[in-house]
Amino acid sequence: MIVPLAHVLVLAVILFCLGLICTLVWRSNVIMMLIGIEIMLNAAMLVFVGGACHWGTADGQVFALMIMAMTSAEVSLALALVVYLHRRRNTVDTDEFRELQDQ
Amino acid sequence: MKLYLELIILLPLLGGISNALLGGRLFSRRSSEFVACAVIWGSCAAALTAAYSYRSPEVVEIATWLSDFDFKAPLTLYLDPLSLSLCLMITFVCGLIHLYAVGYMRDDHCYVRFFALLNLFVAAMLTLVLAENLPLLYLGWEGVGFCSYALIGFWYSDPKNATAGRKAFIVTRIGDIGLGIAIVWMFELFGTESITRLNQMGNLLPVGIVTALGLLMLLAAMGKSAQVPLMVWLPDAMAGPTPVSAQIHAATMVTAGVYLLMRMFPLIGSSTTVSAAIAITGALTAFYGATCAVAQRDLKRILAFSTISQIGYMMLGVGSGAITAATFHLLVHAFFKALLFLGAGCVITTLHHEQDIFRMGGLRHKLPGTYWPFLAGALCLAGLPLTGGFFSKDGILSAVWRTGGMLYGGLYLVGLMTAFITAVYTMRMLLVVFGGPSTPLSHQAVDGADLTENKDKRMVSGVGPLPRIMEWPLIPLALLGLGGGLLNLPEYLGGGLLHSFLAPLTGHEPTLPHATELLLQGSAAIVALAGTATAWLRYGGQRRSLRLSEAQQPARGLQAFLREGWRVDQLYDLLFVRPYVRLATLLWQRVDEGCIDDNLDRTSTQLGRFGNMLGGLGQGRVSLSLTGMAIAAALMIAWLAWMTA
Repeated sequence: MIVPLAHVLVLAVILFCLGLICTLVWRSNVIMMLIGIEIMLNAAMLVFVGGACHWGTADGQVFALMIMAMTSAEVSLALALVVYLHRRRNTVDTDEFRELQDQ
Repeated sequence: MKLYLELIILLPLLGGISNALLGGRLFSRRSSEFVACAVIWGSCAAALTAAYSYRSPEVVEIATWLSDFDFKAPLTLYLDPLSLSLCLMITFVCGLIHLYAVGYMRDDHCYVRFFALLNLFVAAMLTLVLAENLPLLYLGWEGVGFCSYALIGFWYSDPKNATAGRKAFIVTRIGDIGLGIAIVWMFELFGTESITRLNQMGNLLPVGIVTALGLLMLLAAMGKSAQVPLMVWLPDAMAGPTPVSAQIHAATMVTAGVYLLMRMFPLIGSSTTVSAAIAITGALTAFYGATCAVAQRDLKRILAFSTISQIGYMMLGVGSGAITAATFHLLVHAFFKALLFLGAGCVITTLHHEQDIFRMGGLRHKLPGTYWPFLAGALCLAGLPLTGGFFSKDGILSAVWRTGGMLYGGLYLVGLMTAFITAVYTMRMLLVVFGGPSTPLSHQAVDGADLTENKDKRMVSGVGPLPRIMEWPLIPLALLGLGGGLLNLPEYLGGGLLHSFLAPLTGHEPTLPHATELLLQGSAAIVALAGTATAWLRYGGQRRSLRLSEAQQPARGLQAFLREGWRVDQLYDLLFVRPYVRLATLLWQRVDEGCIDDNLDRTSTQLGRFGNMLGGLGQGRVSLSLTGMAIAAALMIAWLAWMTA
């Protein structure tokens, strides 16, 4: 492999941090949080793929495919929930949904 | 003998307990009174039987009590001439006082408590007297203290009386510290608490330690026997019912201190410092009490100060090593002081709780049954020749003379001067209370002093009826007081009964030549007669009404100083009470509330605030939870990185 593993890992870390910041900061919109989660998952996938290339085995790539499948399922479910929530409360701000808080 | 000794103590104890438990419920008033009197007279009978079968000093162990390693304090009683003579006196005088109390308390609803405590009082005193070891003596000592506290504050609904009770308790407690320390220390030194054995071991120790022990015991005796400087509780103790005063003064309480010193004298008497300290305390107290009594106008307070003074004489006797003379005076004093108190109680009851002597008068004709015994008691107290009080007081004074030296010579003069003052105040009391044509009942308040106990009864004028049971206990006491001299006649009249009876205990006390003794008695008689004459010149006949009108003016100068007991109360208030109160206030407001409480309050506020902050995190906001999760994950990763690095 031309790209060294370290570069892949640094990229993955940057990507993960971006996703995390997006999730934490953009809390007024649940869709943006979902996007952040997707970015973090992609970072994880990148590590898998990079590892697979580095050691010359296919396991990581298989795992990346499985994550893609899982992600698509998760996104479809999450988007359904978002639609449901929006219908109920007419907002997608996560802080508005605090019915489970202990008071 | 064992049975008799047990009965002497157990009967009053049983009477007190049964009255406390059953009185008012199972017992009618009559049976309650009957039980209270019967147990004391039963105890008296037991004491008489014990005296009859007495041969030599005896130690009787009744039961084990405290026992731990070397420390042993069984319930052991010790009968020797000293404790036997005191037991006889206590049971007899207390029996009469109990009978009198039946009459005195006839209108009181709390008679059950009264009689139960009165019985317990006697039981505690008998325990004290008969105890063979110091812890048992201490039990009786504290029992006496407790009962006196409860009885002085008997009418506790009036805060003044309750305060008097507390004062008596606290002041005597100061002295008890000395006794407590002495008891523990003696066990440490000798390994035993038995009085008989301790008394044989006095010469084993250096004089310094014996002196310290003696001074500790003197402190205890000062508290209990109301000696200078711990005498302030006794005048206030007059707040109690009169039979209680009589019992405290005559038989059960104040003599305990003198008894302790007499009991331990073989041990502590080997130190001349202790003897001198005892003698000086006694002489000082005798003088103090007598001077205060001259200026009092409350009948019971006169008697209270006279007790302080007479107990001072006893201490003086003990300090001169004259145990016989001190015992003799103790016994005779018990008779005439009980008599005087009971007589005063009769007067006060008759006049509807009037205690100011300047509002009395003419009682000689109205109360002959009280007057004649009271006269006998007054003659004894004044020490007029041939009464019991004369012989006993002279015994002490001649013992002081016999000891000799500068110090004791001075003390003899103080004693003689006190005898003069004693005669003056006794006769003043007698002439003002009983003399004069009639009872002045213009009950307007004089110099603002409120001396009447019962204000609503002030309006009632005239002389009330007196139950006969209150008058006849005075007669045997009067006979004993007058004839008390027969107990211990001087050497030139054939020697004393008490002297030979106490001889095994005291050893051979040296006696004076007959001529010297006669000379001393002559001077004592002259002094007493001079005092009587002085009182007569001031208060006799027509001059009495003059003094009465003088008494309308408020006291000033020396008279006020003496009436307030040398202002010792104010002095102690300034020296001890106020600094203590100030310290307590400081500790309470600054240290406790200001420092400790405040800090705790502030800590709790901070903790509450912190909790609220933590609570704010758990408000179910998704973003916050996510942030928390991220931070936790970061921390975990950092930790793992740290560990693997």
